[in-house]
Amino acid sequence: MSDKFEPNIVAFLCNWCSYAGADLAGTSRIQYPYNIKVIRVMCTGRVNPLYILNALQQGADGVLVSGCHPGDCHYMEGNMFARRRLGLMKDLMEFVGVDPRRFQMSWVSASEPNKWKEVVEKLVEETRELGPFEQFQRNMINW
Amino acid sequence: MIDLDKLRNTAAETVSRDDVKHLVGWKKGTFGYRVAPCVIENAEEAESLVFSPLCAANLATYITLPEKLPVPKGEQPDDRKTALMVKGCDSRAVVQMLVEQGIDRDQVVIIGCSCQGVVDLQKVEEKFPEPLDTVEAEWKEDKIVFKLPDGEEEVARDEVLADNCLICRYPNPVIADVSLGSEVEPAKDGEDSSVKEIEDLSLDDRWEFWEKEFSNCIRCYSCRNVCPMCYCDDCVMDRLNPAWIYRSVNYSENTVFNLSRAFHLVGRCVDCGECERVCPMGLPLGKLNRKLAREVREKYEYEPGLDPEEKPFQASYRPDDQEDFIL
Amino acid sequence: MTEKPKIGVYVCHCGINIASTIDVEEVAKHAEELPGVVTAKTYAYMCSDPGQIMVREDIENLGLTRVVVSACSPRMHEPTFRKTLREAGLNPYYLEMANIREHCSWVHPDSEAATKKAKKLIEASIAKSRLLEPLEEKEVEAEPSTLIVGGGVAGIQAALDIADAGYQVYLVEKTPSVGGRMAQLDKTFPTLDCSACILTPKMVDVTSHPNIELMTYSEVENIDGFIGNFDVQVRKKARYVDTDKCTGCGDCAQECRVKNKIPSEYNAGIGKRSAIYLPFPQAVPAKFTIDPEHCLYLTRGKCGKSPKCEEVCQPGAINFEQEDEIVDIKVGTIIVATGFDVFDASRRPELGYQDYDNVITALEMERLVSASGPTGGELLIGEGEEKRKPKDIAFIKCVGSRDESVGNEYCSRVCCMYTAKLAHLVKEKIPDANVRVYYMDVRAFGKGFEEFYDRVRREGVRYIRGNPSEIYQNGDKLVVQVEDTLTATPMEDEVDLVVLAVGLEPRQETKDIESLLRLSKSSDQFLMEAHPKLRPVDTSSDGIFLAGCCQGPKDIPDTVAQAKGAASSALMPLSKGSVTVEAQVAEVDQNTCRGCGFCVEICPYDAIELEEINWFGHTVKVAKVNEALCKGCGSCSAGCLSGSIQAKSFRDLQILPQIAALGVNKE
Repeated sequence: MSDKFEPNIVAFLCNWCSYAGADLAGTSRIQYPYNIKVIRVMCTGRVNPLYILNALQQGADGVLVSGCHPGDCHYMEGNMFARRRLGLMKDLMEFVGVDPRRFQMSWVSASEPNKWKEVVEKLVEETRELGPFEQFQRNMINW
Repeated sequence: MIDLDKLRNTAAETVSRDDVKHLVGWKKGTFGYRVAPCVIENAEEAESLVFSPLCAANLATYITLPEKLPVPKGEQPDDRKTALMVKGCDSRAVVQMLVEQGIDRDQVVIIGCSCQGVVDLQKVEEKFPEPLDTVEAEWKEDKIVFKLPDGEEEVARDEVLADNCLICRYPNPVIADVSLGSEVEPAKDGEDSSVKEIEDLSLDDRWEFWEKEFSNCIRCYSCRNVCPMCYCDDCVMDRLNPAWIYRSVNYSENTVFNLSRAFHLVGRCVDCGECERVCPMGLPLGKLNRKLAREVREKYEYEPGLDPEEKPFQASYRPDDQEDFIL
Repeated sequence: MTEKPKIGVYVCHCGINIASTIDVEEVAKHAEELPGVVTAKTYAYMCSDPGQIMVREDIENLGLTRVVVSACSPRMHEPTFRKTLREAGLNPYYLEMANIREHCSWVHPDSEAATKKAKKLIEASIAKSRLLEPLEEKEVEAEPSTLIVGGGVAGIQAALDIADAGYQVYLVEKTPSVGGRMAQLDKTFPTLDCSACILTPKMVDVTSHPNIELMTYSEVENIDGFIGNFDVQVRKKARYVDTDKCTGCGDCAQECRVKNKIPSEYNAGIGKRSAIYLPFPQAVPAKFTIDPEHCLYLTRGKCGKSPKCEEVCQPGAINFEQEDEIVDIKVGTIIVATGFDVFDASRRPELGYQDYDNVITALEMERLVSASGPTGGELLIGEGEEKRKPKDIAFIKCVGSRDESVGNEYCSRVCCMYTAKLAHLVKEKIPDANVRVYYMDVRAFGKGFEEFYDRVRREGVRYIRGNPSEIYQNGDKLVVQVEDTLTATPMEDEVDLVVLAVGLEPRQETKDIESLLRLSKSSDQFLMEAHPKLRPVDTSSDGIFLAGCCQGPKDIPDTVAQAKGAASSALMPLSKGSVTVEAQVAEVDQNTCRGCGFCVEICPYDAIELEEINWFGHTVKVAKVNEALCKGCGSCSAGCLSGSIQAKSFRDLQILPQIAALGVNKE
């Protein structure tokens, strides 16, 4: 493995669209960077915006939330709430000086494995450029 | 300008009603510029009520504050109404509580007082150091008059008003059973320029600013205690299972605590300025809240605390909400 | 959740699918060292019988209380392993799966990196598994009956199927008679069957079947509840005629003071009826109805000296005192079969539908050629003295379909064939007529369709490829301005009659049912099916099904097929007798809930409500989840500021350890 900085990306994927899209990328053997690690939720509506802060605090360098396209949500409206809530969390984080590229959202449907690959690659490259997240990471405290 | 006699008479009448348990208002404090919230239960006590530029406290917190102690067997809980004196921002907090079904409209009797802004004591003390004797103050057009022990002093309003009062867009209570005082003009410019100043900084400069502030936080939770919208019996930030943040006081936990609280107030904060006023470390909390409030206003056209019938902001969405940040 | 968990970890080779990239032994060894893990094994194919037996035996012998299977995607095999746990006597929700195939070995060629990632993913799954909780899959009894909204051929067919299977059906139809659109048709393509002849036996069956309660001239007012237990309120509108006494003789309609003054809905507005009417001769039930919007007595309070209908009705069936009746019924499943409206041709003003009498829609044409129509089946145009047979007839296809400018981009599927049929009928009635069809495409896709289209062209109907731009009057002829695109020749075609092949649109009245049932619409505004390929009759709401044109334009054979499919789906919970409710639902901690109502507003299924509880003598409002309605999406949990409402299996306290496990950069 190279000496390049390898970012650690935590992703929240909704079960019905994005998780299925990532599965399809697997079935199609589409290759993408290994830096991304997935947590399965049933719907992006489940993603509490405080998870983003929590993930960054606990060692993630970047966070991704990916769900169904508007109108396609398996539970009708979950992604709509996610859109609103997470958009505001992104604004708040940017306001205090966290680079907005560290937290991104995407709509990836179950039939878009290539989009999944593109989203992962974009996130990994951008986070690599930004470097490790050290702004309020927990294990950086020196006692 | 408020007719104090009218205020005291109204208060006396209200608190004498059978269906009113008590009235929460402001009274002269024990020294200097202090004005304390007080709870009165009979007409005589109404004489001590005041309303002046020193009445900064947001009394709406007191509605959800009373602890619901277990009711002894055979007794009925005391369901009588609470009467409340509110300024413009305070009344919006009451409306927001109605929106969130924290209280029912008929649980409160609202005495609305049109407000021309409260003073920031730090700014006042720079000009007139706080004496031991109690000081009275009043609004006089575009000036504030302080009745100090060695004489009256006048100062331009804009020089001593609290930052959020300078940009107040709702000086008149938006909901009231009784309205006192003549209508006040809202501020011409309702935008907080300091928010724009921070937005104009680079990301690194911004974080430098906020890191310093969050490092100063001592997690006293004064902001949470004084905020009328923070009325959860068991705050998620205090929980151990799951533990969102640790109780250690360091910039990592402090940052997450303050950002989480600001986020929980999205679409709910009525900008009463109390959190910033009570913070012992001088954290510019109002900036966080006002930044989010502006985003909510501009992107989603919502302002909390105006319409008790509206759906809460955090429980709604529009099909055409912005998604330019989504890949 | 408080005792120490005993976790069994199983890392699947999946043949070479995982093992060729990931060092599964290393992953298992890594897992074994984690707190709470009692055993960590690898196996070639975990989903196979031996693999599952291994898990089962470990549960029994080692007393495992949690199982982590690190293999393919849970979307693939979660049900398989849940079953394994169930059979071993362990609650199936104590299972957690780590996806190291689709999300790891198949997409990351670098062995070292993939193995490292697999270890992290398994750490996260183990972290979550420690905090899993046992869940119960509750069963709710299902009412052995179905509500069918809409009495067209789809509703009728579904009703007959379910009734024949032995279950009760409530068939609710808004108009005074069942039959719907099919009853308005003369002949059907491609067989030229007489529509009424093949439909009326079914209509009669529906009214005489012991298991079908037919409620015509009725509307669904309110629906509450969930699959297996719907509470429905039906409003039986007042006919002002006592149906027990009415013999259907028709004397009343003959004597009505506004006889033949009111446009008949059945005849697409081109025929007339009285205020007391039978929609059509073969109406079922054959009972008369008084139209409260046109009846003189009902609108003005008096009809001459006394209402004529009352005078001449021998059995004395007229009853102006009759009132609407609200009926409450309980059903297990619901089928929506509300059908379609035709496109309003006045939305294409250039085609002159509003301006000229002789520009008509296909439905009006259908009524003209029909023996039960206003002209008794004779194809005549003009009024009174001027009545004549048209010699030149033009059909224009794709009116209101495949047309972005009117908002209908879709193809209405039936127009090509019904145009061919109508063209054929014209030739049958007026053999020397010059019939042309202006088309963009001809879609003759079904059984016998292409053959019928050939036949019609052999009979002399001319098909000209072109989309007319305008129709205007020239003397007593109508001029169709069009370009024959195959020869690139602009034409001004003079005809006597223009028939617009109007497309199908969702019925306006479906909007009421749609909002009652919270049904979604597809982008074409028809009701949305749960999955376009695999679930064509389901909606995303359990227990509610779609049949017929309300779901999308289709012809009669497809409608009947779909109705039978919907009936079969609607029968499933009924014949099983019970419905399994989702186990991973939301739950409220009423101690910390502050009754703010955010979750109530957020829930897309209206599954949460605030209820008053006694809290140490005080009455407070807290949230409560209806577990039968909750689908477990978790939107409420993310919106709860006090963290009181949590989605089971996806609680904050189950997700935060996953985040911690994935975040911490341990080498």
